[in-house]
Amino acid sequence: MSFEELDHTADVLMRVRGATLSEVFADAGRAMFHVMYGPCKDRGIVRQITLEAEDLESLLIDYLSELLFITDAENLVFCTFDVDLQGTRLSAVVRGEPFDPARHAGGTLIKGISYFGLEIVKEEDAYVVDIIFDI
Amino acid sequence: MLEGINKIGDLEWEVPVGYVPDMRVPGRFFLSRALAETLEEGAVRQLANVATLPGIVKHSLAMPDIHWGYGFPIGGVAAFDRTEGVISPGGVGFDINCGVRLITTPLTEADLAGKKRELIEALFSVVPTGVGARSAMRVSNKELTEIMVNGARWAVERGLGTPEDLVRCEEEGAMPGAEPDAVSAKARQRGMPQIGTLGAGNHFLEIQVAREIIDPEAASVFGIAEGQICFMVHCGSRGLGHQVATDHLRTLEGALGKYQIRLPDRQLACAPIDSPEGRAYYGGMACAANYAWTNRQVIMHEARKAFTQVFGIDYDEMRLIYDVAHNVAKFEHHDLDGTLMEVCVHRKGATRAFGPRAPGIPREYAAVGQPVLIPGSMGTSSYLLHGTATAMQKTWGSTCHGAGRVLSRSKAKKEIRGRNFGSNSHKRASWCGHTATPCLRKRRPKSTSRATRWCVSCTKRASPVSSPGWSRSG
Repeated sequence: MSFEELDHTADVLMRVRGATLSEVFADAGRAMFHVMYGPCKDRGIVRQITLEAEDLESLLIDYLSELLFITDAENLVFCTFDVDLQGTRLSAVVRGEPFDPARHAGGTLIKGISYFGLEIVKEEDAYVVDIIFDI
Repeated sequence: MLEGINKIGDLEWEVPVGYVPDMRVPGRFFLSRALAETLEEGAVRQLANVATLPGIVKHSLAMPDIHWGYGFPIGGVAAFDRTEGVISPGGVGFDINCGVRLITTPLTEADLAGKKRELIEALFSVVPTGVGARSAMRVSNKELTEIMVNGARWAVERGLGTPEDLVRCEEEGAMPGAEPDAVSAKARQRGMPQIGTLGAGNHFLEIQVAREIIDPEAASVFGIAEGQICFMVHCGSRGLGHQVATDHLRTLEGALGKYQIRLPDRQLACAPIDSPEGRAYYGGMACAANYAWTNRQVIMHEARKAFTQVFGIDYDEMRLIYDVAHNVAKFEHHDLDGTLMEVCVHRKGATRAFGPRAPGIPREYAAVGQPVLIPGSMGTSSYLLHGTATAMQKTWGSTCHGAGRVLSRSKAKKEIRGRNFGSNSHKRASWCGHTATPCLRKRRPKSTSRATRWCVSCTKRASPVSSPGWSRSG
């Protein structure tokens, strides 16, 4: 997995790293569902997301917020995240299954995605972003 | 102690203007010297960032459970001038009106003997709990609008409580100024299936015993006696509130240029109180706050029925002492250097703590001030306190909201193994229902150890008996 949890006394701080921006967005989604749910399988549930924003950071927040909305409103859990980025336009296909308390419960509810300290940084061979999830 | 901070009283510290650029007022926070040693620089920086916001009055404040959050620090309190000031979702948080209520019962510990497990199971069966939980209650779009406007009164009018319950809620369970048009279809969609659900994370329903009375007069006024079994509910506005916060944060972030507001942190996005964006946020936030009061009212009603079923006691014998909001912005009148001034007080992870005879508190509590409920960590004591005149002078009538944290989640996971935690909890006669080990890993006793160290002036100390909720802290 290309994300790791860092120390934060109040919330969940995740560092996500990817060779491309699309990977960073995909793994940010994966990190969020890792916090919220137990293991998930692709059982044929598919949702498509199309978004555009004024900058990449806003786009990342909009994307994760949209995933939060879908999982909460439709009671779905996602495990695969295919993200295509063209500048600040995103189209994503996410796959998963209906929420099943026997397999998915026991995680931590995420209430929102914080702007605080959220900056996508280009390092030598990767893009890195730290995301605070409000729990 | 961190550099650049001045100690100005026994428990009072000042963050001077200049700690970060563009501060308009100093910061103040309240901590013992021992607790100050655990203070995070990030939290102080966030406190200082709040001091840069337009129209902030007097001080940017933080309560003793100050810690690093996003936007405002957790424990942050700030008042903004009604005409010159701003309103910010970053000063309220995503879980609008996350709050706590405390209910007494006529039972004692002896009455619980042999019945704890039955009670826990009864509570679990009627209070949906955890990620993905859905309510058995179905509300229509029209009913949801009524909930967002009328708050807990909506539930009481349907027999889910008593008229006395409303008097014993902050704002009587319904904030004025709710504007349903400021709540998106997405927020409605999330809120409709979740009314009466506890949620997850640090939300809980805990059965407690009043272990020690420290101020008999205040305890008598609040109607609580030593040895009495109580229960405490901690939860908020669920997905509806989270979506309202997300939607308006985005709108306000986009409007910063329009109002020429420069910020050190995008999470502090805000707009003038009387701007279209500011008014819309307030209206949506009030809707979410009212949803949260309804949510806690419905949960309390179901819990009362569970106690009635298990112990055969009357519904009316379970008295709500009070319900307080933790995450909210409200218009209040406060005395500023001898002049009464209307301000918009933001409390993020902070509790209103109005003192004796303050407006807006129940008449029956006027002599001692409003009840203030401070949950401890899971396995440690919670506290019932009362508001003071000092709080009115120093903190816009506010105090802390929970135990605070001294360990991060990841460090707590390493230091406290789930197995050990479970066995220790059983020694204290606790049962954790539902999903076993993973649910023990949110807010553990060792990671939230501040409460007993700073709650020194309290009315009642309550020890947990059993905790069917997930875990603790405020």
